Amino acid sequence: MTSTHLIRSQLLNLATTRMPVAFGAVIVLLATVNGVAVVVGTDMDGSKTFISSGADQQSLVAFAANALMLAALFGATAAAREYAHNTAIATYLITPRRPRALLAQLTAIGAAGAVLGLLGTACTVVAVAATLPFTDYGFLMSATDVLRVLAVAAFAGASGAVLGAALGTLVRNTGGAVSATVVALVIAPPVVVQLVSEAARWVPMALATAASGIPGETGTATSLVGIAAWALLPALLAVWAVQRRDVV
Amino acid sequence: MTTAAHHVGLTVTHLTKSYAGTEVVHDLSFTVRPGRITGFLGPNGSGKSTTMKMLLDLAAADHGTATVRDARYRDLSHPAGTVGVVLEPNAFHPGRSGRNHLRVLALAAGVPSARVDEVLDTVGLAPRAARRRVGTYSLGMKQRLSLAAALLTDPPVLVLDEPANGLDPQGIRELRDLLRARAERGHTVLVSSHLLTEVQHLVDDVVVISGGRLVTSGTVADLTDSAALVRTPDAPVLAARLADLGARVEHSDAETLVVSGLGLDKIGRAALELGVALHELSPQASSLEDVFFALTGSTTTHEEA
Repeated sequence: MTSTHLIRSQLLNLATTRMPVAFGAVIVLLATVNGVAVVVGTDMDGSKTFISSGADQQSLVAFAANALMLAALFGATAAAREYAHNTAIATYLITPRRPRALLAQLTAIGAAGAVLGLLGTACTVVAVAATLPFTDYGFLMSATDVLRVLAVAAFAGASGAVLGAALGTLVRNTGGAVSATVVALVIAPPVVVQLVSEAARWVPMALATAASGIPGETGTATSLVGIAAWALLPALLAVWAVQRRDVV
Repeated sequence: MTTAAHHVGLTVTHLTKSYAGTEVVHDLSFTVRPGRITGFLGPNGSGKSTTMKMLLDLAAADHGTATVRDARYRDLSHPAGTVGVVLEPNAFHPGRSGRNHLRVLALAAGVPSARVDEVLDTVGLAPRAARRRVGTYSLGMKQRLSLAAALLTDPPVLVLDEPANGLDPQGIRELRDLLRARAERGHTVLVSSHLLTEVQHLVDDVVVISGGRLVTSGTVADLTDSAALVRTPDAPVLAARLADLGARVEHSDAETLVVSGLGLDKIGRAALELGVALHELSPQASSLEDVFFALTGSTTTHEEA
């Protein structure tokens, strides 16, 4: 069987459960929250400065950080449940060269994460654009800016999904994998920043925000490399682990 | 899908495996021949599943080797096309339909999706049931789905861990017919079970283990037809002669002998030479369970895992 077969099989594996629908529902919910915020939300001073310029609107619809988190949870769940349901057995029976099977799985989950990021951003842009007419402001983002937040969200989604899947492969327990993902992306970074303040710009959420074009200390290219590194390090660890550990 | 003739189906050589310092398989060696159904028998926790996992490269052996057609599983050119496996009774995502489970496997193994419906039909899983989520299946339906997955590539080797669990009598008969048909095609079939009596009529050869160690192996006929029942009015005369020939003779009653260690033909010839009338000469078959208990001195088919 070819790598294409393995990747397509993993994509079908993801598509034939209710998980994509559940995560899609979360995306719609987040977009709805943004739309409601546009209509009823205000800044501290009661104004609507947060939607008053193209840059402000870009900051509002920049979904990369959400995509990273959401896709990481998706990836962690998707990978860990393969062990929880023992379906990893069939995967490694068909492809006993385990790194190859894992790479196919990470590729498929990464692709799904990219789609989640794209959909999340698209839904948010649509929600914001649809609700702006209820305010004094129009849609001020340029097409280039929209494409940029879409592309960065797709990249962040793919990276987050790989990161989560790698943690899921390492932990092999769905609850544990989700917890590990939350610790890695939400709980640990502030603690690390407390200890080493220079690390603030390198935590995943900060990198995702910077990559979306929100002004910060880190450039877009550097931010993208940083996000990729956050995904690749656990992925390499997972490849090493599947070679060394028994499947069951 | 390769069907080239092989003299050896599966070979296990000095296999040893420990978990957390506890040895679960110890220096285990046996072979499984093609064209035969081989029962891999032993109590729960005796090391059968662990041995199968090592054979299939799902678990690493501490010592020893296990090969399929003279190659390690991972070195087979098309592993999924060579070995069909039933391992865990519940290795499905409960939210996925049975048919989609097979579609995922077929795609990975490079098998046309039309084959999915063929194997579902082979194992008797109706199309309507196959479209339902696996979480709603009975254990028997899950076993049928597992078997369908094992048959997906029409492999020449089957390794099945407790495939009869949860099957109703009709399902067991269908399983027996299916495995027999594959063995007659020259395929290699290894079936594990902790229910020795249940598989006695299913298998040709047996490998019996207990506590991770080999107890015995051989054909079912050799293991269970080890004694003969002889009824004769001249029992003492015949008994003495058979003892001289090396047989172990027990007197069941005045006219009945239970003879072991000598074939029926030799017993009959000895009687003829002595001019002793025989009222009955028949094999006294014992069950595999009797053989297991006799060899292990155990009184239970359950072990601590």
